[in-house]
Amino acid sequence: MSQGLAGYIIRRLLWTVPVIIAISILVFLLLRLAPQDPIDSLLGQRYDEEIAERLRQKYGYDRPLHVQYLKYVQNLFQGDLGVSTQHGDFSVAEVVIPKIRVSAGLNIMAMILIFGLGIPVGVYAALVRGSFLDPLVIGFWLFVDAVPIFVSGVVAPWLFALQLGWVDLTYEGVLHPNIILPVFVMSLPGVAGVARLMRASVIQVSNEEYVRTARAKGLRERTVVVTHVVRNALLPMVTVIGLSLPGLFAGSLFVELLFGIPGIGREALRAARGFDFDVVLGLVLFGSILFVLANILIDIAYGFIDPRIRITATRGN
Amino acid sequence: MQVSVAPAASEDLGDRPASRFRILRELSRKKIAMLAIVFLAAFYLAGIFAPWVAQDDPHLQRLTLEDRLASPTADHWFGKDAAGRDLFAQVVYSARTTLLFTLTVLLTGSLFLGLSLGLLAGYRGGWIDSAIMRVGETLSGVPTLLLMLAISAAFRTRLNDVSFWLKENTFLADDARAIVPFLIIVLAALPFAWISSARIVRSQVFAIREQEYILAAETIGASTTRLLARHVFPGVLPVFLVGLSAGMAGIAGTEVALSFLGLGVDPSTPSFGTLLRNASGVRTFQEFPHLLLVAGIPYLLFIYAWNLLGDALVDIVEPRTFRR
Repeated sequence: MSQGLAGYIIRRLLWTVPVIIAISILVFLLLRLAPQDPIDSLLGQRYDEEIAERLRQKYGYDRPLHVQYLKYVQNLFQGDLGVSTQHGDFSVAEVVIPKIRVSAGLNIMAMILIFGLGIPVGVYAALVRGSFLDPLVIGFWLFVDAVPIFVSGVVAPWLFALQLGWVDLTYEGVLHPNIILPVFVMSLPGVAGVARLMRASVIQVSNEEYVRTARAKGLRERTVVVTHVVRNALLPMVTVIGLSLPGLFAGSLFVELLFGIPGIGREALRAARGFDFDVVLGLVLFGSILFVLANILIDIAYGFIDPRIRITATRGN
Repeated sequence: MQVSVAPAASEDLGDRPASRFRILRELSRKKIAMLAIVFLAAFYLAGIFAPWVAQDDPHLQRLTLEDRLASPTADHWFGKDAAGRDLFAQVVYSARTTLLFTLTVLLTGSLFLGLSLGLLAGYRGGWIDSAIMRVGETLSGVPTLLLMLAISAAFRTRLNDVSFWLKENTFLADDARAIVPFLIIVLAALPFAWISSARIVRSQVFAIREQEYILAAETIGASTTRLLARHVFPGVLPVFLVGLSAGMAGIAGTEVALSFLGLGVDPSTPSFGTLLRNASGVRTFQEFPHLLLVAGIPYLLFIYAWNLLGDALVDIVEPRTFRR
């Protein structure tokens, strides 16, 4: 396994490098070829052309595109992501890292809630399958999944803060109890996906022969369900964690907007609107690399958790 | 916004072929799915026949004190917005925007790009397959919304100039103002629209490629194009359509999300995103709840109907295809 695994990881990383480079060039060109640049959005509608020229020289936007790109990559390898034109020349890292912390906290809590709710719901739906409760449970969570964040992000604070007075809406940091409401609003739509997958997984495992053996041995039903079925059915969930990473970013953006949380989603929106080149590019690259690494890690973890799985080069399907 | 998990199986249906007739027959037995279909048909028909369904002009402003933000009445079922425009008309025309957007992205992205790239990857295999799949995998790893924001922000900059030019020099005339931003968000959605359908088609092709009738067709010298079009494609179709239905809500959601952020359709084009943005804010909801509800509920039901239909279809058609 070790040799196959190492080869597999190397192959995947090798495929990743050109694609990430391609994405960086694409986003780079997309931003630089747009008829507007950070200077335009920095200076507003009317400005002195000479000042604009001087600023373009300062940031190097007057140089040929390939020179700009190579300079960017060169700086990248020295750990320099460039500067934020909108934030008065603070480095991208300085601007972005505090906000990544906030969003990471938000996302981790949401992830815990999604899986904490989705897994029991899925197990329950699988155990009661065939009865009317199964479609009812899944149907309910599919409904919750359909509620747009633009609606729940307004109605939930109205209900719980204004009407019931249970929570306060001010943002006081990720670890303050006020964060509970935004985390709930962000997580609930994801529960249906996890629940459906868990349900399918439990049903599949229930048909395995070792489950029949366990029952035939006369083990209590509870023991069979908990130790034989659910434990094995949890395996595919590991993959889902990796797949759900990019999806959470979007949920994070709208929750940050609606609840006034200073996270990375809002920063990204501001940067895209204001043509803050280096911030947008930095965030795209950060997000892509994070996703790829997380999925490679999960594939490796998978091999350790379930020794039956031998990773092959062409990860079928 | 949600955990993007491929919807999965219920009972193990084994390897029964997913014939079109069996799908339709089993679908007609599911009452909830039929209800969802009826709602979706009503939604889309309202969009197509918007001028007849909504008697009022969605752009007609009434800037009097009693018209602005008026609650629902017998004449204006959904009330009026901040500019005194009839909200029922706006919702109906928003359904039209949703329909146009999903149709455009579906035809160009999922159908054209997804099907052809999926067939190519599955049938050719080798490095072509690897390249297509890795590009898809990485693209689905890019923060999609961020890239879409960047694309639509980048292309919007000379919006006024371009639409003015189009208005003067092409047949588009007054529609130019609305069409340009619409095309921009289609362009922003396309890089991501083909991935899941290409993946589904590819895995189906892998299964079909091994069938004997393909070998038979190859033996008598059928060309690759003919082979794909006449022998592989019909087998792929049912599962492909089910995959599309699972992605419909997501495509519609793209437009709504971008419009909500002010980077979507032109403000003059009615859209659920714009309506929901104007209704956003806890205080606004406290005072004028109808603004959010009349736009939010139809949109919610639309997404729910697609969720239910997608779930029912996945249950019927070979479930394994949708598991990763």
